[in-house]
Amino acid sequence: IPPSRPGAGQDVGRSCILVSIGGKNVMLDCGMHMGFNDDRRFPDFSYITRNGRLTDFLDCVIISHFHLDHCGALPYFSEMVGYDGPIYMTHPTQAICPILLEDYRKIAVDKKGEANFFTSQMIKDCMKKVVAVHLHQTVQVDDELEIKAYYAGHVLGAAMFQIKVGSESVVYTGDYNMTPDRHLGAAWIDKCRPNLLITESTYATTIRDSKRCRERDFLKKVHEAVERGGKVLIPVFALGRAQELCILLETFWERMNLKAPIYFSTGLTEKANHYYKLFITWTNQKIRKTFVQRNMFEFKHIKAFDRAFADNPGPMVVFATPGMLHAGQSLQIFRKWAGNEKNMVIMPGYCVQGTVGHKILSGQRKLEMEGRQVLEVKMQVEYMSFSAHADAKGIMQLVGQAEPENVLLVHGEAKKMEFLKQKIEQEFRVNCYMPANGETVTLPTSPSIPVGISLGLLKREMAQGLLPDAKKPRLLHGTLIMKDSNFRLVSSEQALKELGLAEHQLRFTCRVHLHDPRKEQETALRVYSHLKSVLKDHCVQHLPDGSVTVESILIQAAAHSEDPGTKVLLVSWTYQDEELGSYLTSLLKKGLPQAAS
Amino acid sequence: ALCDFVSLSCRYQDFHAFDLSGATRVLEWIGDKGVCVAGYESRKKNEILHLILPLRLSVKENQGLFPERDFKVCHGGFSDTPVFDLKHVPDTRLLVTSGLPGCNLHVWQVTEDSDVIRAVSSIAMQEAEEGLWPRVAIFSSTAPGVLHGARLRSLKVVDLESQKTTYSSGIGDNEELSSLQVLDADTFAFCCASGRLGLVDIRQKWAPSENVSPGPGSAGGRWCAEVACRRGGPGPSIASLGSDGQLCLLDPRDLCHPVSAVRCSVSAPSPDPELLRVTWAPGLDNCLAVSGFDGTVQVYDATSWDRTGGQVEPLFTHRGHIFLEDGQRDTVPLLTTHTWHPHKPRTLLSAASDASLHVWDWVERHAAC
Repeated sequence: IPPSRPGAGQDVGRSCILVSIGGKNVMLDCGMHMGFNDDRRFPDFSYITRNGRLTDFLDCVIISHFHLDHCGALPYFSEMVGYDGPIYMTHPTQAICPILLEDYRKIAVDKKGEANFFTSQMIKDCMKKVVAVHLHQTVQVDDELEIKAYYAGHVLGAAMFQIKVGSESVVYTGDYNMTPDRHLGAAWIDKCRPNLLITESTYATTIRDSKRCRERDFLKKVHEAVERGGKVLIPVFALGRAQELCILLETFWERMNLKAPIYFSTGLTEKANHYYKLFITWTNQKIRKTFVQRNMFEFKHIKAFDRAFADNPGPMVVFATPGMLHAGQSLQIFRKWAGNEKNMVIMPGYCVQGTVGHKILSGQRKLEMEGRQVLEVKMQVEYMSFSAHADAKGIMQLVGQAEPENVLLVHGEAKKMEFLKQKIEQEFRVNCYMPANGETVTLPTSPSIPVGISLGLLKREMAQGLLPDAKKPRLLHGTLIMKDSNFRLVSSEQALKELGLAEHQLRFTCRVHLHDPRKEQETALRVYSHLKSVLKDHCVQHLPDGSVTVESILIQAAAHSEDPGTKVLLVSWTYQDEELGSYLTSLLKKGLPQAAS
Repeated sequence: ALCDFVSLSCRYQDFHAFDLSGATRVLEWIGDKGVCVAGYESRKKNEILHLILPLRLSVKENQGLFPERDFKVCHGGFSDTPVFDLKHVPDTRLLVTSGLPGCNLHVWQVTEDSDVIRAVSSIAMQEAEEGLWPRVAIFSSTAPGVLHGARLRSLKVVDLESQKTTYSSGIGDNEELSSLQVLDADTFAFCCASGRLGLVDIRQKWAPSENVSPGPGSAGGRWCAEVACRRGGPGPSIASLGSDGQLCLLDPRDLCHPVSAVRCSVSAPSPDPELLRVTWAPGLDNCLAVSGFDGTVQVYDATSWDRTGGQVEPLFTHRGHIFLEDGQRDTVPLLTTHTWHPHKPRTLLSAASDASLHVWDWVERHAAC
């Protein structure tokens, strides 16, 4: 299986992996690099196939989750480069992707005036090619290729995918998280033993601070701002993390008996409710319970926001969209509150270049807004990372769960993964690869081919009397018939019958010369006694016509035509008794024991 | 549970909690941004890790713009034997480790072009005894020397490169060592398990300035000690800690008469006296940290201590290791080691037997919460 890698090799930025398995070609993720403004942000697809259409070359595209570094280049890829085949993703990803793509498009084109970019219509056309899948549902892409999604945690709708062709399989993790958080569970996979596990390793070389300490930090910051009479703005993207932060604040407010109001902008509540109803199975138990008991935005301390509230005096906390402060309500509120140093803005995630969010996170304190207006930012700016990724410990856990034969690390940094590679190789006795961008890794596999054995043959083997032993392979004689992708093992007779062939009998004869002046009948008798005593496990018989049989082997004694002192033993056996026949021959050649006179 | 944690942790400014893959008994600084930890399990491979502190703990301004709260594993290596002590050789990329069995010290290199810590050589111990492991301290100079020994009589300095012995105690005294510390280019301090302390000048034949053994008021028990690194300054600079909770502060000029003697606020003697640790705060006057009795680290202010041996109350007790532990275990974790941040005055790192590693500082008591 050679997975070659247009992106996601040893630099954090964009994910795009190509896997060839069992003659099928699958593209895993299609991300854009957040750090570049030009074409370098998109993976280089030209090297996948120099001539020929992508649609013919690729059997499918799989998108793991809605983050832009995993799906940001999808419309460019399908509509501008050209791909018309199926694109697989989970239902939440299908719903949320276009929102983020459109947001991103707006920023790139409207804010930064970029030219060579995908349009809104392209996003729509791209999404028409999407086939949504459920967790643990085996999806047949064609009659040989099947895929299955597993829960990955990380963000709503994120999945790890198993890709299977015949007995060969690859598991691609996308981004995942092994510790549950407040609104998502932990990633989980069964012991599927893939030939290859491709795992993200962005945080492979980190040891993550505990969730409690992160949450404590967040609550402490909010509390401090509110205690000094300040206003706290938390720009969020519609779903997921926002719910988690709300639950946190609500619990904290209740416990500490705080009075300052908390608001959630209406745009968020409508969308969030809608999506959560659809995707409730993707969140964890706790959220599901709150949802069942009450509408999730009927928090005791969290109310719907009205834009007029932004001018109210006194402390408050507001969750507003969009998440990068690039437009809309969150930007409006920001402009009102930025000038007061008692206020605080908490950015819960990465902001794309060109947005106000990105600028203030880079430390900029003077911002140029429309109409040449300069906004001085005196409010406290806090960057908090709530993203859930697997660290070194998490990766080891997942490898332990899936039990792959080989591991491939992507999304991490070049020289900084040698130790992890050794750790994985030692602990699990597997090979571990860390390819760079554009590098191809080829893995030899030994596929096991299942063969059906005919009942007749099986019965015959059982009749031999020896009990089957799981640890010892047993030699079996049969005929392998390969027909119509079907493998059968049948007895030779059945094979001959099916093929309409006549069976040939093969018989060997060997002459052994013995010095024995007596009559041939006596020689035969001597042979009989000798073999009877030596071959205790076999059936040795002396027939009335003077010949000796050992199983089905026939031995006849005859006088030598020229030398009366020599007898000639004719040893004759069928092909099936080759082994015994040879043995008997060499035994007889050694001569007979002297008879007692 | 979250809010109890939050309200309790109002007493902290920074608080980071990590889970290592294996518990560590060592916390050795490399520069002021990285620490080394190492596993001490006897039946499996142990990891030696060089960790870089979260960036936000090192920046002076704009802390809020640094979201990363994680330790970065900068380098890692594997040890087949448990590591009980680890020392960095200053101005080099070398580490020296010691553990059981005590027949070798191991030298490691933190490689430059990859993230691997690899074994370079071993220093064989001439007298190795079952169950004992040599303490280690480094004389750093252009030709670094490794001071080591399990007993006073086996104290030696070995040149790291040539492995030639450059100093020997040359005495027959059998007393078991518990701490060794290099003070400058020519002097080191030792503390025996009995409480006997000494300062040795390696330019002379063995003639240390010593106290009377055992320590005052102790009837057995096991002792360890630490000398403060600050230059000069008033007040005692040697702290000696006993497994029953006794703490003595001494002036190096008169080791026989402690400046103060108190009893720490502990409910029982240390269950594993080899884990006892007492350290001086590099950035605060008269401030000490103590661990090894239970799952806590206690910070004491020694100003106005006397010699009566009475119990003293800590300035602050870090209970995080007990508070944050899983709840699935039967045993409460035991603190294995702690260390102070070189220049953030109230920041400490602490590690416990459940593989937890904390970075924390504390807020003065009067802060509102």
